[in-house]
Amino acid sequence: MIITSAKPLEEILTLLKDEDDIFIIGCNVCAAKLKTGGEPEVLEMIRQLEKNRKHVVGWALPTAACSVRSFDSLVQKNEKINEARCILVMGCGSGVSTVASVTEVPVFGSNDTLSLGGSSEGKLLSDQCIMCGKCTIGEFGGICPKSRCPKGLLNGPCGGAIDGMCEVNRENDCVWTLIYNRLNKIKRLDLLYTVHAPQEHRID
Amino acid sequence: MLFNLREKLNSSKFLVTAEVSPPRGTKFSVPLEDARQLKGIADAINVTDNQCSIMHMSSLAFSKLLLDEGHEPIMQLTCRDRNRIGLQSDLLGAYALGIRNICVMTGDFPSCGDHPGSKPVYDLDSVQLMQLVRKLDSGINFAGNNLDGGTSFCAGAVSGIDPEKPLQLIKLEKKVRCGADFIQTQAVYDVGMFEEFMEATSHLEVPVIAGLIPLKSLGMAEFMNKNISGIHVPEEIMFRIKDSPDPVEEGLSIASETIKELMKLSRGVHIMPVGSHKNTPRLLSMAGISGK
Ligand code: SF4
Ligand code: SF4
Repeated sequence: MIITSAKPLEEILTLLKDEDDIFIIGCNVCAAKLKTGGEPEVLEMIRQLEKNRKHVVGWALPTAACSVRSFDSLVQKNEKINEARCILVMGCGSGVSTVASVTEVPVFGSNDTLSLGGSSEGKLLSDQCIMCGKCTIGEFGGICPKSRCPKGLLNGPCGGAIDGMCEVNRENDCVWTLIYNRLNKIKRLDLLYTVHAPQEHRID
Repeated sequence: MLFNLREKLNSSKFLVTAEVSPPRGTKFSVPLEDARQLKGIADAINVTDNQCSIMHMSSLAFSKLLLDEGHEPIMQLTCRDRNRIGLQSDLLGAYALGIRNICVMTGDFPSCGDHPGSKPVYDLDSVQLMQLVRKLDSGINFAGNNLDGGTSFCAGAVSGIDPEKPLQLIKLEKKVRCGADFIQTQAVYDVGMFEEFMEATSHLEVPVIAGLIPLKSLGMAEFMNKNISGIHVPEEIMFRIKDSPDPVEEGLSIASETIKELMKLSRGVHIMPVGSHKNTPRLLSMAGISGK
């Protein structure tokens, strides 16, 4: 799941200050789950924009904003999109880009996209993966240091953790403590002795 | 200078290294003056690399200024600000300018410093940086291409000293396996703990230079215990500082006693005072070290 948070209304109004006849596209997957782009949030956005004297021509809620097939598929959901002079997408950055790739009018996003995460046992899990393109998570017991250590350290922790908490944000566990505990539990502490080569950032 | 750091590491001399920070501008006379107090007593001077992520003059440039004054600099190099290209070109430049000693470390996160929004690099970590240095030493660059003249660095790394932290010990082992010539440690206040650390790492057979930060006040000791990873000021030392009418002087006495103990345990001490080195010569003479 892509973790997003809603931008403050003032920021959205600033983005749209020269725009009108707005069409809103929500996202019924991640953003709906996180309440940043499901139906209730879309309806609330319409109310707020109208309160601020913006004209909303209509809205649609595709299954996933990032998988919109074509402009026609949006027309099929709500033909009012033909009147739009601007589109506001209430999804993640990828949803905004996808919508922009099939439309001809200015497209804006109402959310900040934070990380690739998940949710489990009622808890939101952020920064689970940074999509590095070469997955080695198994070498760390299933906990990814590339995404969960702010420095992306592959050969063990920096010297900054205090009582197992991260130097960068004292509210977060140092991921290396989690990796250690997990490898200890699955009896694979031997993996800690591997010298890992740096991550490659090639664009092939 | 009679001996360089590598030769001294191979000798039986108890070593003294000390930390100096480059200036936060282009005027360098004050830190140079500070370093001058260490002439004849410090075997080498570490030059910090934008410590605490606060922007200073580069450690490379200030190391060269020290070299020109006849000091033996140890250029610190963090992974925070440069990718593998930048790190290598600075290492080649440093070597060409006569800098022979370096000390590699991860580096604090930018959010700790004065440019909290700057991009954290960490293309390599400290273990990988040590490997990179050894590649340059063998005459090839990190990509495997031949260099037109390689390096021959005396390269160290840093470590915490808590024997109860297995991850730190494993990382230290990797640094040594990748070629660390020496280790400089976090500040030692608890000599018993340091002794256990030395026992836990004795199989690595690497020279360990123990860190030392003389205490100046009770507040400083409390701050470090709470906020600095790996530092443990024992209660007994806290009481001594608290009860003393002159905490700075008491801090020096404590540090000099610690140095005497460390002489039995480590290859040297690394002095990192808060502020200047004004008291460092006296501290060393209190500990019975009178210079070369
Ligand atoms: S190694 Fe980490 S960042 Fe890379 S793909 Fe696997 S989980 Fe994602
Ligand atoms: S404390 Fe742990 S998680 Fe935080 S930056 Fe250091 S190694 Fe990474």
